[in-house]
Amino acid sequence: MTRYIRNRLVSAVPVFFGITILVFLMLQVVPGTITDLMGEQGVSSAADKAALEASLGLDRPLPVRYGAWLWDLLRGDLGNSYASGKEVSGLIAQRIGPSLLLTGSGVLLAVLIAVPLGVLSAWKPGSAWDRAAGVLCLVSFGVPGFFLCLVGIFVFSVVLGWLPSQGMYASGVYAGLGDLLHHLILPAGVVCLSGLGDLVRQTRSACLETLGEDYITTARAKGLSEGAVMVRHVLRGSLIPVLTTVLTHIPHIIGGSVVVERVFGWPGMGSLLFSAIFSRDDPVIMGVTVVIALAVLLTNLLLDLIYGLADPRVRYEEG
Amino acid sequence: MKRRILPLLLALALVLGLAACAGPNQEEAAQTVVRCGLSNAWDSLMPYNSPSGSNYSRIIYDKIYDRLAYVHADGTLDPRGADSWESADGGLTALFHLSEKAAFHDGTPVTAQHWADTIALLTDPDCPTLGRGAFSVLAGTDETGAAVEGESLGAQAVDTYTLKLTFKTPTTPEDFLLDKNREYYVLPTHLIGDTPASEVMELELWNAPVGSGPCSFVSEVAGSQIVLAANPDYQLGAPGFDQLVITVMDKSNLLTSLIAGDLDYYAFGGNASVEDAQVARQAGLEVLEGTVPNTFYELMLNNASIPSAEIRRAIGLALDKDALCLQSTQGLGTPTATDLTPGTAYTSPFTWSRDVEQAMELLRQGGYDGRTYKLACTSNRSGLAALMQQNLGEAGIAVEIVTVDSATLFSGMSEGKYDMAIASHTPGALPLWFTASRFTQDNNIFHVSDLAPYTEYISQIQTEQDTAVKQALVERFQELLVSERPFIPLWFGTTLHVQSPTVEGIDYPSSSFCNENVWDWVKQPG
Amino acid sequence: MQGGRREVWQRFRRDRRAFACLCILGAEAACVLLLPLLLGLDPYTSDLTAGFWAPPSAGHWLGTDDVGRDLFARLLCGGRVSLLVGFCAAAISVAVGIPLGLLAGYRRGAWEFWIMRLADLFQTFPSIVLVLCLVAVVGPSVFNIILVIGLLGWTGIARLVYGNTLSVREKEYVLAARALGGSTASILRRNVLPNAVSPVWAALALRVGRAILSESSLSFLGVGIRTPQASWGNLIQYASNLTVLTTRPWVWLPPGVCIIVTVLCLQIIGDGLRNALDPRT
Repeated sequence: MTRYIRNRLVSAVPVFFGITILVFLMLQVVPGTITDLMGEQGVSSAADKAALEASLGLDRPLPVRYGAWLWDLLRGDLGNSYASGKEVSGLIAQRIGPSLLLTGSGVLLAVLIAVPLGVLSAWKPGSAWDRAAGVLCLVSFGVPGFFLCLVGIFVFSVVLGWLPSQGMYASGVYAGLGDLLHHLILPAGVVCLSGLGDLVRQTRSACLETLGEDYITTARAKGLSEGAVMVRHVLRGSLIPVLTTVLTHIPHIIGGSVVVERVFGWPGMGSLLFSAIFSRDDPVIMGVTVVIALAVLLTNLLLDLIYGLADPRVRYEEG
Repeated sequence: MKRRILPLLLALALVLGLAACAGPNQEEAAQTVVRCGLSNAWDSLMPYNSPSGSNYSRIIYDKIYDRLAYVHADGTLDPRGADSWESADGGLTALFHLSEKAAFHDGTPVTAQHWADTIALLTDPDCPTLGRGAFSVLAGTDETGAAVEGESLGAQAVDTYTLKLTFKTPTTPEDFLLDKNREYYVLPTHLIGDTPASEVMELELWNAPVGSGPCSFVSEVAGSQIVLAANPDYQLGAPGFDQLVITVMDKSNLLTSLIAGDLDYYAFGGNASVEDAQVARQAGLEVLEGTVPNTFYELMLNNASIPSAEIRRAIGLALDKDALCLQSTQGLGTPTATDLTPGTAYTSPFTWSRDVEQAMELLRQGGYDGRTYKLACTSNRSGLAALMQQNLGEAGIAVEIVTVDSATLFSGMSEGKYDMAIASHTPGALPLWFTASRFTQDNNIFHVSDLAPYTEYISQIQTEQDTAVKQALVERFQELLVSERPFIPLWFGTTLHVQSPTVEGIDYPSSSFCNENVWDWVKQPG
Repeated sequence: MQGGRREVWQRFRRDRRAFACLCILGAEAACVLLLPLLLGLDPYTSDLTAGFWAPPSAGHWLGTDDVGRDLFARLLCGGRVSLLVGFCAAAISVAVGIPLGLLAGYRRGAWEFWIMRLADLFQTFPSIVLVLCLVAVVGPSVFNIILVIGLLGWTGIARLVYGNTLSVREKEYVLAARALGGSTASILRRNVLPNAVSPVWAALALRVGRAILSESSLSFLGVGIRTPQASWGNLIQYASNLTVLTTRPWVWLPPGVCIIVTVLCLQIIGDGLRNALDPRT
């Protein structure tokens, strides 16, 4: 077991560097650099462009730039944003909290709703629960996220006036938990609804699968009550697929939701990445990639461990 | 890596902890806040270190730093950092009498020396500034705006409150301000002290800048939100609010948030389409029609890949500017034959009309070989591009549309990858506002093979003092542009401003010209 | 797989809901493929006499868009693109995901190790960067969007198959087959694949819908299918304008309904297929 974990940790290193090299290369392929955006206002000169290129080090050859970036990374420095000149680590530190809050609460809410609903709808197919689950799945899978945002804002902010339509706080700075929660409901609701369908379906089909297993029949035959069978056996048997689904949302939680953050003006990682891409702010893109990459690698490690713990027949010694 | 991740995690824990523990802060809640929406992010908070140099950044600098004057949409000027100005030395210099009440947010009075030092610092060739070109009109600088050694710089403090700017060519202070006011800010040079020019941009100061503008810096989430406090000692009066919060959000939520009352204003005057105006009116908001054009659309041409002037003229004639303008402005624009802003001092006799027959004739003369031109546009203008494609198709010109983001568009255009591109600009009142910067060796965005005829006219117009002669020169220059057609002027558009009743006193039209009269804004109670 | 292909089909047909949905989807596909040809619809030419944003009329059943193009024609042609994107992207995801998931789960060892590392890599990639880059390099085309959405989707399928294979390979009948000396390929094909893959059918149907929605989100961010080419994803973007959302439902409702109906049908078909393949549940 420990050897397995060590193996995984060691193997994560080349994967991590592979990701950074790939993203770095891709960024070089995209036409235009941040210096080209200067042309938009028609006031920049070639001298300005050259000055900017030189000051950002864009005039150096590619491997040198990657090497410099990597060396800084190893020393714990993610570099400075091309656009704002601020430290990338500082930018990420500012954004990761709101992202975790928004997407985390959305996904948590989705799990809390989806798992019981999925179990119930598997237990009693065709019941009202099952139909409710079906409708929720349909909305979740069938309606684009941005549309949910817009309709949500239209209904709850414009027509009813119950919830704020933008921002994290009413006055731009933290002014109490109530204010924050008030601003959180609508965007987190959209995140929840977007992730809900997947979770409900996975739970439902996993439970159905387990219900068909022989040991459930045995348990029933032993005279266990339906409730006990569901909780003790079915839920446990369905744990792996459900956990898989929940965990695959974790990188998404860290990375934030670009669309929701954009629409609501929420200062998260997704909107940071999005604006960095459009302003060709390479250090920020790389920095966000590093954080998301770490999140994914850790999640996957966790996932593999859980496979092992939940299903003892999976052996670690091989491989 | 780990060293940086740990602080991240700690920061996260802190955020969550704060969220859980802190109760509502009464003092904070009692503040009056004006909330602004912005569709794109600003970048650096140092006004001379902005890679984009975009209006979204300038609108932020406009709050924190002070400028010499306030420019109204119609081209009239009001005092701001300077109380008054006068021309001297036969137009070669301008004297600005600075406000004696102006002070930086740290209490230091703003003096002429601050202005002179600011300009001296930024024209220092060692200073890694962007946008130095703004200073190239001053004597003692080269064409990039860098100071020339041995020459005296054209920015001097005559006395504590008089700033003297010396120009290379005679310029009235009014013309100078119309052209450059948005690029001249006074920096707190007393806080920069002895820092070598080459290290000025690395100062911590720019992360929490101190200026002398109507608002002082409070906090920033770079690229997402900035919180500013009203400067109660601003020389033109204290703004009628405590805090100004500017948030970056998607365009699609700006109007809805205004209607819902979660925004008080969206930057650049709350531009709205004719149709949005109806919805806004139904929601009880007031809609004001702009009187001064605030957008200019052009079709950029690549003169290297379309070398024949006949073909370029044919493209101009084949376009149905009426329909294009209607599609884009819904009736709030006027098609144009030139880049001269309507309603300003200089005019041209040229008019525009569509003529497909003549376009086809010109195509024959120009020897159009039926090749397909690449037309680049950003995704919000793809409808416009489709109409153009259809227009040009009717004259027999084949066009392929390439939808890209703006970085790709401008880099592609300057590399010569595209044959045409749709672009829009904020027009200026001066006759060369558009052309002067686009026909230079450095920034030959239209890929004109011989710039000489253009630059000759441009320098003549720039130096000419007599308005009648200048007008005649402008007309001859426009004649050249019409016959050569290096770019195609499309239309000038005005806009509608949706006003929220929550803030009084906003000068909506002037915001399109990158300055906002925040000192006159008053947040209404309730 | 219990029984042959014919038996599966018969079980599927007996599921009335799933069969009805298959018919609806078929009809939809036929409509978007044939109607534009039959009616001679042109989604690209502006009708300047009708004007911009014309309401529905006899000439333009769903009115015109912001540049005077017929919205009904665009809806149908957009459907072609969206269905193409959905099915092809899902096909790519499955074509890559199933074999890799099976191999990783059954062979274990180095196979498992490197395939799962590859999955990590793909899952980590900020997809919008990948989309932007690909689009910038090879041009914004339907093919690239398909490729990107497809390649970003295989990890989910592979993990599902991998997880199932892990359990299945330890099941008694697989152990028995192995003990009897069956070759890896035949065990994989005969014993592992059918049991590990049957839950994938439902996931596959979902992926198609997911891909259609992904394209729509990409359009919202400005990197999806570019106009003038239409897709349901970029047609529904018109709803992001408050005026269109509140006063012109005929513009965004039809593409919205098309997406929902398609996704719903795919879901039910997926369920039906899974049940037909694996009648125990």
